[in-house]
Amino acid sequence: MESKKISFEIEENIAYLGFGYNCDKSMTTLDEETLQELSDRLDELHKDKSLKGVIFWSHKDRCFLAGADINLISSMKTESDGAHGAEAGQTIFNKIEDLKVPTVAAVHGVCLGGGLELSLACKAIVASDDKGTMLGLPEVKLGLIPGFGGTYRLPRKIGLPKSLDVILTGKMLKPKKAKRLGLVAGVYPKERIKKMAIFHFSGDEKKGGIKESLESMASDNFFAKKIIFQKARESVLKKTKGFYQAPLKILDVMEAGIMKGRSSYLSAESQAFGELCVSEQSKNLQHIFFMTETAKKYNGPESSGNLPKLKKGAALGAGTMGGGIAWLMASNNMSPIMKDLSTEALELGFKQSSSNFMGAVKRKRMTRDEFERKQRSIQGQLGYEGFKRVDLVIEAIVENMNIKKSVFTELEGEVRDDCLITSNTSSLSVQEMSTALTKPERFAGLHFFNPVHMMPLVEIITHDKVAPETLEALYNWCMKAKKTPVIVKDGPGFLVNRILMPFMNEAGFLLEEGVPMKDIDDACLNFGMPMGPCRLLDEVGIDVGEKVAKIIHDGLGDRVKGSPFSSKLVEKNFLGKKNGKGFYVYDKRGKVEGPNEEVQAMLPKDKKKMDETEIQMRVFLPMINEAATVLADGIVNSAAEVDLGLIFGIGFPPFRGGLLRYADSEGLDRLVKAMEDRATSVDKDRYTPCEYLMNLVADKKKFYDV
Amino acid sequence: MAMKPVYIIDGKRSPHAKAGTDLKDVDAPFLGAYLVRHMMDNTSIPYNEVDEVIFGNTGTPAKYPNISRVIALEAGLDKKTSAYSVHRNCASGMEAVSQAFMKIASGRCDVIIAGGVESMSQMPLIYNKEMTELFVNVMKSRTVSDKLKAVSSFRPPFLSPIIAIEQGLTDPFCGLNMGQTAEVLAREFGLTREQQDEYANKSHHKAIAATEAGKFDDEILPLLYGEKLSKILSKDVGPRGNSTVEGLGKMKPYFEKRSGTVTVGNSCPITDGGSALMFASEEAVEKYNLKPIAKMIDFHFHGLEPERMGMGPLLAMDGVFKRTGLGVNDMDLFEINEAFAAQLMAVTEASNDAEIAKRFGLESALGEISEEKLNVNGGAIALGHPVGSTGSRLIVTLMHELKRRKAKYGVASLCIGGGQGGACIIENLIK
Repeated sequence: MESKKISFEIEENIAYLGFGYNCDKSMTTLDEETLQELSDRLDELHKDKSLKGVIFWSHKDRCFLAGADINLISSMKTESDGAHGAEAGQTIFNKIEDLKVPTVAAVHGVCLGGGLELSLACKAIVASDDKGTMLGLPEVKLGLIPGFGGTYRLPRKIGLPKSLDVILTGKMLKPKKAKRLGLVAGVYPKERIKKMAIFHFSGDEKKGGIKESLESMASDNFFAKKIIFQKARESVLKKTKGFYQAPLKILDVMEAGIMKGRSSYLSAESQAFGELCVSEQSKNLQHIFFMTETAKKYNGPESSGNLPKLKKGAALGAGTMGGGIAWLMASNNMSPIMKDLSTEALELGFKQSSSNFMGAVKRKRMTRDEFERKQRSIQGQLGYEGFKRVDLVIEAIVENMNIKKSVFTELEGEVRDDCLITSNTSSLSVQEMSTALTKPERFAGLHFFNPVHMMPLVEIITHDKVAPETLEALYNWCMKAKKTPVIVKDGPGFLVNRILMPFMNEAGFLLEEGVPMKDIDDACLNFGMPMGPCRLLDEVGIDVGEKVAKIIHDGLGDRVKGSPFSSKLVEKNFLGKKNGKGFYVYDKRGKVEGPNEEVQAMLPKDKKKMDETEIQMRVFLPMINEAATVLADGIVNSAAEVDLGLIFGIGFPPFRGGLLRYADSEGLDRLVKAMEDRATSVDKDRYTPCEYLMNLVADKKKFYDV
Repeated sequence: MAMKPVYIIDGKRSPHAKAGTDLKDVDAPFLGAYLVRHMMDNTSIPYNEVDEVIFGNTGTPAKYPNISRVIALEAGLDKKTSAYSVHRNCASGMEAVSQAFMKIASGRCDVIIAGGVESMSQMPLIYNKEMTELFVNVMKSRTVSDKLKAVSSFRPPFLSPIIAIEQGLTDPFCGLNMGQTAEVLAREFGLTREQQDEYANKSHHKAIAATEAGKFDDEILPLLYGEKLSKILSKDVGPRGNSTVEGLGKMKPYFEKRSGTVTVGNSCPITDGGSALMFASEEAVEKYNLKPIAKMIDFHFHGLEPERMGMGPLLAMDGVFKRTGLGVNDMDLFEINEAFAAQLMAVTEASNDAEIAKRFGLESALGEISEEKLNVNGGAIALGHPVGSTGSRLIVTLMHELKRRKAKYGVASLCIGGGQGGACIIENLIK
């Protein structure tokens, strides 16, 4: 037969099947064509009596197999479609398992999902020691269950407890770790894995030492397994707060499968795959996957492609934000300069970067030597020495327009003409800032979210005179630094803070109406938000929140007026987590100790019992309304960008697919009706649906239809 | 051979900290790498255009056998950069500088970074010979019984370690500790305990005054330290503002317990620190539009009897004056290392006394080294003596003080354990 997608050779009676053959994409997936060819080829091999072994490998330098084609999964319309798809794959992989001769997967590059499930069907897996080699079953992250036999074969290979950890977290394993787990039989240099694979034909019966056998004795009986599943379920519920179905479904399948044989186990697995792949939640998570894939490519105004190279960085202003930015630059080998006005401020910045690095050291993602190198690559200083070398400056000084402007004027005298200058402002007008520069084309806003190492989103803020090359260079830099950039037009609060403002404002109004703080925060947590609005305000800083609220109110009018309650707290010096007292009281390490009784005393004595869904409506309706005006004002161009921003900027619950996707699924006509009701019953300014939204409803369109 | 001019573009040093204090956990390369990175950033020289990186270091940490190469890479220089380390005891930093000078003066190189680093806190304890032999025997033995036999040869005294730093400061030829060589000079020159303590006390007060006046701000580049590398050290840890002659007088002689005059207080303390200078040829200065601070004129090293190693500067300065045709009176500043108060006092006395000078083989006295020109910002007794770095540190300090005074010539000189001296003359270009 002809090789189209999988190369085929036989050498000394060993068959070599190479993936990524005739493929232009850097990532090879198991699409329909490949699966069919694999199936036919395996049928042929089953008939070959002279065969001594089969080795799977890949032609690609970075990819063994990146898994099943996600487009294939997202095209599934019904549960039975999905189940059939999974079954088809399982049947093919069974053919690998059933080969009488030894089979080895020689893995170099990413080996994920279906790719790992294929490898698991082999007698042994060997992996290259390359940095890019990773193995994992990330299906759970897309709201799915590994459907090609992964949940069946992994526990048989590495034991139940370890496989639950791998499958339920969807984590990626580096070769060495995979070897320690027993998933991989040998780790070799990439040039030698195909050769070394032959040495594993005799199987990897080398079943570890006393520790492993004790472990398997302890976990390999019915009762122990029951307890393991119970613990796993508890931990899943704790981590996901029960919002996510996929991990629970995976647990169901695996637990019910304890006593089952291959065929009945696999049919339960494919059934579950079918159910999950058409579920709303999985569709939402797949939606996010596609959005992030799209966002990987620069989509701003067309540039000449002649981009400045951003090799050396500088952070103006240390502190937590500047330190976080310096950390990001140092992590990306930019040997940044961190400049501030005092040694104390610099030390604050170093403390931040150090604690970020230390996190990685503790998790063994970084050695102490690497930490020393990277941390020391940050040059803290009070002057402008060395700025002529700098290619990218990110300013993170005090939020004051006049000070920022004068700093930019000063800075322009210190850097080269082609150095990009950016401001990490969270609220001030980038347009106005740009007037302080003689070369505004190299200037843009670059808004990181706090804390920098946790929050993936970066808003790249444009202005009239910015060069497209500046935007593209910044966009690419963000991607390289593993951040998620969104290009937004200048305007009060830009994208995320503007939509977030009603979230916090409404909390203030609700409090003043007598709704208990706990009810408000709980309602939002139960919706899936990572924090309730009061807790979030504490985190941001109530004074900062108040300042931003004022700027947004001034810029956008009474639709986003703030509740006066924040000002009362600021007056009493309740600033939030940073000084230990806000809506809640915090201990020295920043842990919540309980509600701040002094704040509680400032609230109405008569408590109002409000329905949880009503609280959610009160909070999320104005956000949806504001998001619509964001689109109307052209701050961003698509609903997807709004959703991406909110998910990666404030942790809007991913399983809901984003605020606007959620709105679409709830039905815009219903939501507009709900707004109109509250415009009369609560507040006209805050709840009157905007024109953009009204038009959508009139045209019977959704946000995502535009 | 006609020598080409050698320019000094920049020179920086780390703050000094007494061994075992703030900088104790900073590995030696990190005392220098950040200086190199910073000096590079201040120029437009491409990272792949440094011809050579030369650092002096005496401790040679086991982890970094060629410390200069580590410094070059940690500083972000191109991987193709050539780098080697040099060792001339206390003058290792000056040896590095001298090699940079020769390579540029001869036209072989255009840009060189040279200096010295020393982490005396991290100088190791070493297993003694018996213990080392035991380890070797255990490793050699094939069978369990051989192994047991080897192990059973263990005796508790095997565990008494060799203290690398102590051994390093003892002359293997004459058997005298460095402090004992200072006692020799104190005896022969009739230097009293009080004179030495007075000298030491002045050094502290000069250093404190210089620190408070911000005179070191140009030469010291603040350094990250602490377990989490989040603290910044910008000033020397060592000089004591509250030092008094009476206080120093209370210390017991360290090297000759009964009759001695040399104490820990009137000697330089062991210290952690690093220093670096950037050298360039005339062509490089033009090509990269560099702004040199000084010109290096020449250097000289000279040997003498190990038990009087402290007189090294006398012979070295004599040599460099002869090479250059310059003399004591041409010098606006002297930066001579204060290994021991007695040692430096002996050098200045001999410099102005023809008879003593002759005893050390000089044709005539060098002339008077006036107090107003000598170690004006204090010396190693207050600032400390990170052995591998001091040779280049003296030049850094000298260069910045000449620049501040808009003066012309200065000489940096030091005595070298083992019986040598080194000296180097620079000319300030900032008027």
